Amino acid sequence: MRPNFFHHLHPPTIPAEQARWRHTLGAGGTAVFLVLVLLVTGILEMFYYVPNPQEAALSVQRITYHVPYGWLIRNLHYWAAQLLLIFASLHLLRVVFTAAYGPPRRFNYLLGMGLFVLAFLLDFTGYILRWDVEVCWPLVTGTNLLKTIPLIGDFLFRLAVGGENACESALLRFYTWHIFALTLPVVILGVWHAFRVRRDGGIAVPPPALRPNPERISRFELVRREVQAMLIVGAALVVLSVLFPAPIAPAMIGQPVLTEEARAPWFFLWVQQLLKWGDPFVFGVLIPFAILLALILIPYIFPPPAPQDVGRWFPPSNRLAQVVITLIAVFILVLTLVNR
Amino acid sequence: MSTLNRRDFLKLLTGGLLTLSGMLGLGAILRFLSYTPETVRRSQFDLGPADRYPLGSRTLIASIPALLIHDETGFRALSLVCTHLGCTVETAEGGFACPCHGSRFDPSGQVTRGPAGAPLAWLRVEVNEAGNVIIYPEE
Ligand code: FES
Repeated sequence: MRPNFFHHLHPPTIPAEQARWRHTLGAGGTAVFLVLVLLVTGILEMFYYVPNPQEAALSVQRITYHVPYGWLIRNLHYWAAQLLLIFASLHLLRVVFTAAYGPPRRFNYLLGMGLFVLAFLLDFTGYILRWDVEVCWPLVTGTNLLKTIPLIGDFLFRLAVGGENACESALLRFYTWHIFALTLPVVILGVWHAFRVRRDGGIAVPPPALRPNPERISRFELVRREVQAMLIVGAALVVLSVLFPAPIAPAMIGQPVLTEEARAPWFFLWVQQLLKWGDPFVFGVLIPFAILLALILIPYIFPPPAPQDVGRWFPPSNRLAQVVITLIAVFILVLTLVNR
Repeated sequence: MSTLNRRDFLKLLTGGLLTLSGMLGLGAILRFLSYTPETVRRSQFDLGPADRYPLGSRTLIASIPALLIHDETGFRALSLVCTHLGCTVETAEGGFACPCHGSRFDPSGQVTRGPAGAPLAWLRVEVNEAGNVIIYPEE
């Protein structure tokens, strides 16, 4: 068989042990597929979405209720975006739990963290683009949070909002960030991230002499598995989109409505919970940033994993890093569940 | 002392100039993005004739947002912007409650439960010569 273009994107062979689902969880590859789905469905939505405070929510309603298959496109975009956060998180956990971040992969870990942050910003900006009554308070609190940062706070607020009142003027800013200023970096960093995997010697494995199982699989087999995963994830997306429509609420026009309870989008529920505890700068900015910094620094502050441990689940030599990331994950999960 | 040869000097110069122009360009982009249009934010709200708000009335003015109170002492207005992160508080049992992170305020605007750290603001209210109620939210 002659390798085609897609085969050529892969190394000729890769170690069989590390190519298994139970090793990679397919998380990184799935994230790539979800980004492709997001790009395609996002471009389709752009044909109808109107980034104007008066019309935005109505155009979302038009996509959802009038445009043929508009509901499907929008729901696919929504579900792919939510799943992206989950699979990106799984990928990060997998990389730490299999000690795959050590030199020479430290730089690529940084690129991955950049993508991770961008994914959250994209999910948040996309959520705001609904511009219905549910998004006003998360938008107000999120942007006012920027203001609490000493020295650069006001500047960041202006950068994000482009006016005085978030629920009146932030839409065009968020639109441009979402469609272009965050998406383009994702594409560039994403390609770079994938390139660096090859440059750094492919998926993390112990040096040949220390490998218990020398078997390798060919790129044909690898591509076959990837296609299989794409089909499964694609089918799951369609099923989710048909069964669980993306949230939608009445248009936000004029003054925001009064509500008993305002909830952040699910991926920021933990920050909302933190904010209930006190000073917004400490709980809404410093603590989340400290957590992010801890994640970013994992490859730099902990001793590099032992060579025979690279690419093995829960190896002994990076216990500390595993404990730290587990604590962070549990902390965020508990806060999310407590916030009700 | 080490001397700089011509090649190294030019290299340094090029690098320096490129960095400088990069910084200038970045600064320009940041300035460009930080523009805020002349505020259309209103510093005073004319609420119409004072007799629309009889003695003992409490009126929600959603556009500010504020609560206009008319009692024996005259007109008073309490800002409904939560001092924590700016959501609009709701009237609730025993005063006001914020929908975002659960701050509570008593009827005079004092914090009864965090995370808000400051009381709700009282706004200046006036009745002008024409007999209209004016609220000044900025002061
Ligand atoms: S904005 Fe009111 S409690 Fe946070």
